[in-house]
Amino acid sequence: MTRRPLRPLARILRAREEGGDPELIEAENIRLRHEEMRDKARLRAEGRLLMLGVLFFSAVLVIGGRMAVIAATEVEAPRAAMISDPIIGHRAEIVDRNGRVLAMNIDTHAVYAQPPQMIDPARAARELARIFPELSEERLLRDFTGERRFVWVRRQVSPEQLQAVHDIGDPGLLFGPREMRLYPNGALAAHILGGASYGREGVNSAEVIGVAGVERFFEDTLRDPDRTAPLVLSLDTTVQAAMEEVLQGGMSLMNAKGASAIIMDVHTGEILAMASLPDFDPNNRPRVPTTGDQADSPLFNRALQGVYELGSVFKIFPVAQALELGLVDPYTQIDTRGPMTWGRFRIRDFRNYGPSLSVEDVFIRSSNIGTARIALQIGIPRQRAFLESLGFLEPTSIEMIEAPTGAPLLPRNWSELSLLTISYGHGLSSSPLHLAEGYAAMANGGTRVTATLLRQDQPQRGERIISEAVSRRINQMMRDVVTRGTASLGEVRGYEVGGKTGTADKPRAAGGGYYRDKVIATFAGVFPASDPQYVFVVTLDEPVETSGTEPRRTAGWTAVPVAAEMVRRTAPLLGLRPQVEVARLDGVTLSGN
Amino acid sequence: MSYLEYNVKYVPAGIRKLLYVDWAVVLLIIAAASMGFLMLYSISGGRAHVWMEPQLKRFGLGLVAMLVVAMVPIWFWRNMAALAYCVSLVLLIAVEFVGQTNMGAQRWLNLGFIELQPSELMKVALVMFLAAYYDWLPLGKTSHPFWVLLPVVFILTPTALVLGQPDLGTAALILAAGGAMMFVAGVHWAYFATVIGAAAGGIYAVLASRGTEWQILLDYQYRRIDTFLDPAADPLGAGYNIAQAKIALGSGGWTGRGFMQGTQSRLNFIPEKHTDFIFTTLAEEFGFLGSFALLALYGLIMFFCIASALTQKDRFAALVTLGVAINFFLYFAINMAMVMGLVPVVGVPLPLVSYGGTAMMVLLLSFGLMQSAHVHRPR
Repeated sequence: MTRRPLRPLARILRAREEGGDPELIEAENIRLRHEEMRDKARLRAEGRLLMLGVLFFSAVLVIGGRMAVIAATEVEAPRAAMISDPIIGHRAEIVDRNGRVLAMNIDTHAVYAQPPQMIDPARAARELARIFPELSEERLLRDFTGERRFVWVRRQVSPEQLQAVHDIGDPGLLFGPREMRLYPNGALAAHILGGASYGREGVNSAEVIGVAGVERFFEDTLRDPDRTAPLVLSLDTTVQAAMEEVLQGGMSLMNAKGASAIIMDVHTGEILAMASLPDFDPNNRPRVPTTGDQADSPLFNRALQGVYELGSVFKIFPVAQALELGLVDPYTQIDTRGPMTWGRFRIRDFRNYGPSLSVEDVFIRSSNIGTARIALQIGIPRQRAFLESLGFLEPTSIEMIEAPTGAPLLPRNWSELSLLTISYGHGLSSSPLHLAEGYAAMANGGTRVTATLLRQDQPQRGERIISEAVSRRINQMMRDVVTRGTASLGEVRGYEVGGKTGTADKPRAAGGGYYRDKVIATFAGVFPASDPQYVFVVTLDEPVETSGTEPRRTAGWTAVPVAAEMVRRTAPLLGLRPQVEVARLDGVTLSGN
Repeated sequence: MSYLEYNVKYVPAGIRKLLYVDWAVVLLIIAAASMGFLMLYSISGGRAHVWMEPQLKRFGLGLVAMLVVAMVPIWFWRNMAALAYCVSLVLLIAVEFVGQTNMGAQRWLNLGFIELQPSELMKVALVMFLAAYYDWLPLGKTSHPFWVLLPVVFILTPTALVLGQPDLGTAALILAAGGAMMFVAGVHWAYFATVIGAAAGGIYAVLASRGTEWQILLDYQYRRIDTFLDPAADPLGAGYNIAQAKIALGSGGWTGRGFMQGTQSRLNFIPEKHTDFIFTTLAEEFGFLGSFALLALYGLIMFFCIASALTQKDRFAALVTLGVAINFFLYFAINMAMVMGLVPVVGVPLPLVSYGGTAMMVLLLSFGLMQSAHVHRPR
């Protein structure tokens, strides 16, 4: 670039000659040069500005175009639900057969903390520890001052606690709405309901999930978002409450360490009430114990999970089977001379019944030897098949998540000795619920019934096990056990209680053999015996009745009176009217005149 | 020495200055802000006191502040530019040490009466400072390497500080605004070509090296880049906002669902619905018509700013006016593009519409600068 000189010599000389001021020429040239520069700069600036303007314009065009494209696209329905798999707190209610609420959801709040937003973590920790005594102040403070950005403080709080936390006034303490499971009846039917806890937890909601019992078994049904109807159980709250009360009283009266009871409809298989003591409050379900015997935990459901050798209550099965097979009739005499020896094994009776008893009396007076001799006639394959058809070889199929854990204990080798012992209830362990199913089949006219916790509309039509005639005969015998047999304390006027007692020595925990002073006392039976509607099982664990001169442990003195009280209380609730019993006409011949 | 101070033949004085304010821009600003008030009213479900009232008060205050700034001669502001830059820089450094942390970023400075976000101040201070710098710098030296390096340092220092807060969106805005200022100031295009080329090459190298033996970044860093660039790949995490916003935009259609009828925003599907993602509500309730109207308002504001800049003879006045326009443009362009999924999500509010104090005040103050230049231009 050639520059024009600011002081061109020729012009200056000429100016000097003409007497002009050469400085003016220089100033003029400087001005021209500056203008030139400014023009150039301006040109460039305007060029840049133009480019910028074009950029702006095209950006606006692109954004506007994008708007148009989006506006023109078809709306896809909000797929948020599918995409994000949101946390659904919904959980259907559980009600009893009459619609009374057993489990429901209520709104509550969780308390959580966002430590970065906390103003005074030390004060917050102190106040929280005051409101929730179970929380440790040091632990909270450590969480609040550490690296963590999010801390759950409490999963659910009461309205009073919520207000108290709110009053702390720290912006880093926040509340998340959620639902919680409430069991308004407290410990009532605790083992059946099980309990609930939280699954996936979010700030705005949390999954309520079942942890045990029907809550867990019906998890998917209860959490089905389309389901609004409650889950209707077969339970009757009033019967359950009366039964639990009687059982609790009976347990302490008989000094037992545990107890269980079942009332079941013989035709439909519906469980009207089922309880196990000690129990717990499902609103505040205790933790599973890590030490000691699980069977002593309140969480343990004796009625379902407790597999015991139930003793003489089993005698109903060989007697019924022998009658069904036609091997004996009720009056056939059975040799009851004892002790009966089988190899090295001796079978004794509770007392000596003399040389022989009729089949009926073997059952009514509960002779081990007599029952064993009847079982010998039946034989191993037929005994096994009979018990299998009654469900004694499998866990029950009741609608509780714990059902598979109540698997019966069978003899490893079903020998002839097993044949004999099983006939009077030893060598095969089963749960009280198994027994209830078995008794129901004996009493209802002879067809198989499976226990259910759901309300049923019609009787079950199960496989036939024994004929109706045999069933009728068995019911009479059970009635006789109460009127003149081992369960005389079981009489409840007007309700025709019939049943069979069983007192089984408890096996020692370690090694073989049995305790001499620890028994499982069971009374299983039906009412009213002339046309059984309900079957019941009452089991007491290690009862001792001490009102007499020496401690009495047999079922007749322990389980039977508890069961009688239970029937007295629950039968009216079940809608049964007291009946005047028609005198039995056995052995009386009506004459024409 | 400024061209203006000595060459202005007539400067309106006193209250008469109000007549010379660029009222078109003021009206456009009020119109855009009003759409914001409507949206805030709608999002809060018809409860004005939640977001609309505070926003209205702040806007009124900002409007007054804007006019006050406009009344002060533009040469005063030029003389204040260096000071403003230094103060902003000091505040930015201060926030590192005593700032309040919110939502994972340290951005706020509590001054007792107001919670200040120094990074917002820096946006306008940087524009002022660069304008003053190029006003002071002899034209011939504009493209001299040293005099190019100096403003680069001025830009990168606050950018780095803001990036460390961390606030990627504001950092990007500061960087882009500074670069644009240098561009309109007339720095030789070769510099820009070099920087852009180097950046593109660097990014290409990083991406191309993935999976090879000389991989530059670690695997998880690549995965983060993936989500950043394509949020749809992670619709529950980083891409959640975008996925929901797109549904809202799409459901708006051409004319929208109607005022207060939006579901996506009202049902809390959209996070930050009253701040960075407020545009989704507008698009859902007023459709293409409403959103394009807002875009048109923004475009007109830009147009008037550039027109005003073209009438300026003073370099500082012209550059400041352009800088204000550039800042404004970057705000709304990045926000809208982000909401519509054109660019990755960075935290940038929609100017004049999003709920927020500092950003609105600073924006109105910067328009005050533009108005001051407009009032005091030579006639």
